[in-house]
Amino acid sequence: MIAIEQLRYVVLGTANLAAAAQFAQGTLGLEPIDRTPERATFRSDDRDYTLAFVAGEPATQAIGFEVRETKALDIAFDALRARGLRAARGTADECALRKVRDMLWFHDHSGNRIELVVRPMNSGWRYFPSRDAGIKGLDGVMLRSTAIKKDENLWTEVLGAQVSDWAGDAPYLKIDSAHHRLALFPSKKAGILAVEYAVESVNLMMRNYYVLQNTQVSIMHGPGRRPASEQLFLTFAGPDGVLYSFVAEGQTADGDVVRRPRQFPAGPQGLCSWGSDNKIDEFNRAGTR
Amino acid sequence: MIRLQDVSYVRLGTRDLEGATHFATDYLGLEVAQRLKNAIYFKSDERGHTLCYFEGSPDDQVAAFEVANGEDLSAAAAELERLGHEVHAGTAEEAQLRQVRDFIAFKDPTGNKIELVWRPEHSGRRYHGERDAGITGFSHIGLCTTDPVRDEAFWTQVCNARVSDRIGDAALLRIDEVHHTIALFPTNRAGIQHINHQVESGDDVMRSFNFLTERQVPMVFGPGRHPTSSARFLYFEGPDGMVFEYSSGVRSIADELLYRERQFPFDPKGFCEWGAKPEIKEFRN
Repeated sequence: MIAIEQLRYVVLGTANLAAAAQFAQGTLGLEPIDRTPERATFRSDDRDYTLAFVAGEPATQAIGFEVRETKALDIAFDALRARGLRAARGTADECALRKVRDMLWFHDHSGNRIELVVRPMNSGWRYFPSRDAGIKGLDGVMLRSTAIKKDENLWTEVLGAQVSDWAGDAPYLKIDSAHHRLALFPSKKAGILAVEYAVESVNLMMRNYYVLQNTQVSIMHGPGRRPASEQLFLTFAGPDGVLYSFVAEGQTADGDVVRRPRQFPAGPQGLCSWGSDNKIDEFNRAGTR
Repeated sequence: MIRLQDVSYVRLGTRDLEGATHFATDYLGLEVAQRLKNAIYFKSDERGHTLCYFEGSPDDQVAAFEVANGEDLSAAAAELERLGHEVHAGTAEEAQLRQVRDFIAFKDPTGNKIELVWRPEHSGRRYHGERDAGITGFSHIGLCTTDPVRDEAFWTQVCNARVSDRIGDAALLRIDEVHHTIALFPTNRAGIQHINHQVESGDDVMRSFNFLTERQVPMVFGPGRHPTSSARFLYFEGPDGMVFEYSSGVRSIADELLYRERQFPFDPKGFCEWGAKPEIKEFRN
């Protein structure tokens, strides 16, 4: 078992890099960092970047997690191969592109690409947003899974995550003091369901709600409050079928106290305690395998 | 000076008592306190009632304020008559209908029907709403004004209200530490402009937003947050076009000496810091 230090970045393929970059800057309000004809990266906090758009196939996606040492990559490699999963060390070019010292990538049981990286770049300069959305940083990722139980076990048995709670069969996975950084939702296909950015407070979340409404962004779920994490959330549609959320508040771990994971209902009942409108398929089917 | 202690109740005429009751209980979440043949009383907190719908004209609207002493009523009556207001001393039967010991009725300079009441009944039982709206109590009213300068002077000089903030010429007035108990909105009519109930939390505001939206209750403003009082709010329309508000987190003004009222713009930014735009006539230019 290895220990994951933190969630680092999300890489998303896009059919229209210019439109995706415009969304990241105009709608999310992130700060543009690197831009080439093939790639655009965006900062949201003291990490060099947390969102990277890559021109090409939208199915090309990856989530980056930081581990402390190269040794952890070796341990993970053996454990992943033992489970029959595809895994390989990143090349020097791949590492340079991601601004990391070392990398191991693998595909989970659903085919989602996960990257474990060592010494990812932080920024010496503070984050300066493109618009005042009040973003504090990349907060979490919701991931689709076609093999929910096996993927949950992979995270808890190999990658050192803990289940905070379940909504139906969907586990919220904890790797640091936050209630979760990753949530797996049963689905018929693989892929990133939602990329979640924390905003300062309920006021910023609701201000964003009206900004999104006025700019004709499709609100997919919320504003609402998640019963499990107690997070406020607002989930909306982005380019290439990927959803984005603004989240605020929410439970954090109290020191080293390990809380018993709780079971919440599947579907909208277990996902919003305000009764907000849900247009996300996976959330209606969160209880089905 | 007329010392208002608290807003006590509102009385609203309606042609459809049954419909109004359905709204007040199933949607607004109040509890029926008492049913008479042609009037229904609703409670929202520890008081005996804070809202009464009676069979009559929807234009017949009354707001009542509590005074501390019986003598305050006669002193107020004398002062109001001296200023040229016609004052009606409540009869025993009328007082009984209002569940108060004694009261006087008059009209403010705009023509709003106001009652000053002494010893309104409290309830021995706590409030239990018809639905879990999280209501903690009836809290304030918006009153129509046809002349905001004149009416602000009436409420602050004849009565004991103080200006907490202004949105354009609309004065938000306090009579205790709560940011406002009366709000005066310039318009071309007399009447109650909106009725506010406080709810426990911002979560309750949002739950009601979804609950009422699903039931096709017309949303007229919000969810939002007032830059003036800092309360999170939701305005929606009830029977006879009356606007009801839920809010939570209203600012409390503890230091009367240091507090200074502020001027906010009479546009959506003055009413909501989240960006909601009001569909309420009196909140728009």
